Amino acid sequence: MATLSIKDVRKAYGSVQVLHGIDIELEDGGFLVLLGPSGCGKSILLNMIAGLDDTSGGDILIGGRSVVDLAPKDRNIAMVFQSYALYPTMSVARNIGFGLEMRGVDADKRKRAVEDAARLLQISHLLDRRPANLSGGQRQRVAMGRAIVRDPELFLFDEPLSNLDAKLRVEMRTEIKRLHERLGTSIVYVTHDQIEAMTLGTKVAVMKGGYIQQLADPRTIYERPANMFVASFIGSPAMNFLPGQVVRDADGVRFEASGVSIALLAGNPAEISERPVILGMRPEELKVAARDQASVTGVIDVVEPTGPETMVTVQVGDRSVTARVPPRFAGQRNDAIFLTVDPASINLFDPDTEQRIDI
Amino acid sequence: MIESKRHRRMIANIGTYVVLVSLSVFCIGPMIWMFLTSLKYEADIVTQTMQYIPSRITFDNYVAIWTQSGFPRLISNSLVVTLLTVTICVVTGTLAAYAFSRFAFRGRDQLMLGYLVVRMFPAVMMIIPLYVVMRGVGLVDSRFGLALAYTSFLLPLFVWMLKGFFDSAPKELESAARIDGSTRLGAMVRIVMPLARNGLVASSVFIAIAAWNEFLFALMLTTGQGSRTWPVGLQLMVGEFQLPWGVLAAGGILSIIPVIVLFAIVQRTMVQGLTAGAVKG
Repeated sequence: MATLSIKDVRKAYGSVQVLHGIDIELEDGGFLVLLGPSGCGKSILLNMIAGLDDTSGGDILIGGRSVVDLAPKDRNIAMVFQSYALYPTMSVARNIGFGLEMRGVDADKRKRAVEDAARLLQISHLLDRRPANLSGGQRQRVAMGRAIVRDPELFLFDEPLSNLDAKLRVEMRTEIKRLHERLGTSIVYVTHDQIEAMTLGTKVAVMKGGYIQQLADPRTIYERPANMFVASFIGSPAMNFLPGQVVRDADGVRFEASGVSIALLAGNPAEISERPVILGMRPEELKVAARDQASVTGVIDVVEPTGPETMVTVQVGDRSVTARVPPRFAGQRNDAIFLTVDPASINLFDPDTEQRIDI
Repeated sequence: MIESKRHRRMIANIGTYVVLVSLSVFCIGPMIWMFLTSLKYEADIVTQTMQYIPSRITFDNYVAIWTQSGFPRLISNSLVVTLLTVTICVVTGTLAAYAFSRFAFRGRDQLMLGYLVVRMFPAVMMIIPLYVVMRGVGLVDSRFGLALAYTSFLLPLFVWMLKGFFDSAPKELESAARIDGSTRLGAMVRIVMPLARNGLVASSVFIAIAAWNEFLFALMLTTGQGSRTWPVGLQLMVGEFQLPWGVLAAGGILSIIPVIVLFAIVQRTMVQGLTAGAVKG
């Protein structure tokens, strides 16, 4: 049974439609990431799951029970907010235990539950403090403690790491993943950070303009993006796009553009027509090769060593292409460079609809 | 060069103090004068030459006003009216301010504007229609009626002030509380009110003082001893041929004592509340 089912959920403010028929199923113990740029509707969707916002249509089921008419407190969920939303007038212990207090759990039991949660999150020494006297990372832990102490059916995370500095963010990301694996409770997690989405999610919904662009596991989203928006939103540096033409010759089907000629692996070559397309290649799939094996030929524009790898910006025809090459790359600006790309790794998109073309 | 700079700064400082001290004297002077007058014998008040510091001190004026003029009744009426006003404002105003701060509903902005517009009309303009209404519902010459009249012009102020404090309390806190098991009202009482406590105290003291000192409405809407408040009572002691200066001054001093005591108790909270509102809007 799915922990969370979102069925044709819509949201409109007056005549402005902000969510258009969202459908998502999350399996028991799954980790759903709602990913998208700001204004894509991901936070509104999360608030509707929480019951903080009303739906304008559709149904939301948690544990098989429709919750759209229930108050937030009756949905058996817990939420971690971007600002942590710790109650400033209460101690850490009371903050964590507040949900149990509201539910009439007696003091002894509450105390034990709070201490267990605090131990799990390594904040036992902070229980008597006020939120104002905690660091960002500690507040984050308290906010998570408040969520897990209730042992709900579903956790909701609203961009929980975006107020932390870079180092702490990586740490807490690992912590959240560990927590999820340990507790096994389903999670819905909102973020605009593609790395968080890739590392944490078992399922990622990429959203834009109130629509789900793609709903799949992170691997599929990365390797087989449904359209050019998903392709460019996921991955850093971003996927390279080259407009060109599918052509047919004696050897089979090829992609041709200025400086580029790649044999396509087509399941059924007879079905592919000659047409204009946009080629998508991940930077790490481009490899330096000998001149006679090259499928992409260009001139080096910029070389950027980052330590573990080097980014090379290559001028191909009138387009710029980024390749991620090994760290000790020797090429220099204005050198000619020859690259190959694994035909299995490339994606083709329709130039008009920007949708992926399956070959 | 440095010398002249220091010199200039000293002159500026002296100038600042001169302005400050003279304004203070201007503001506090009458009160001190009233206090000194209240301690004088009647004969020492109206004299050929001005006598600033009383040569003889007496508390007769205080005894006189307390025992002979029904002053305790006036004070207790004022207390009741003030308490009623504050209670009505706190109960209804808090809910209203919270609604204005948190909910987007049709006519919200117009209503807020309407509250401001009410404050723009002078009290004299409203008093006749208000009197007619009060007479119609039989609330003329009652303490409750007077409290309602005060509420009519103090509530908008209270709501506007408190809305600012509610606005500055993060909404996510209530969302968290609602998920944790509170109702909306519960979240307001448990989470938002403690945060807005200073603002609540400041706004309440503000309207309490306004209600305590109010004169015009009280004059028009009260006719008998049963509901008359102290400002009106004091005014009525001014006779056609006789002005009991000493007794009036004693009454004035007695009347501002509650305000001073209240202020002393809450001043720290109130100043915090007022400045918080000022900075965060």
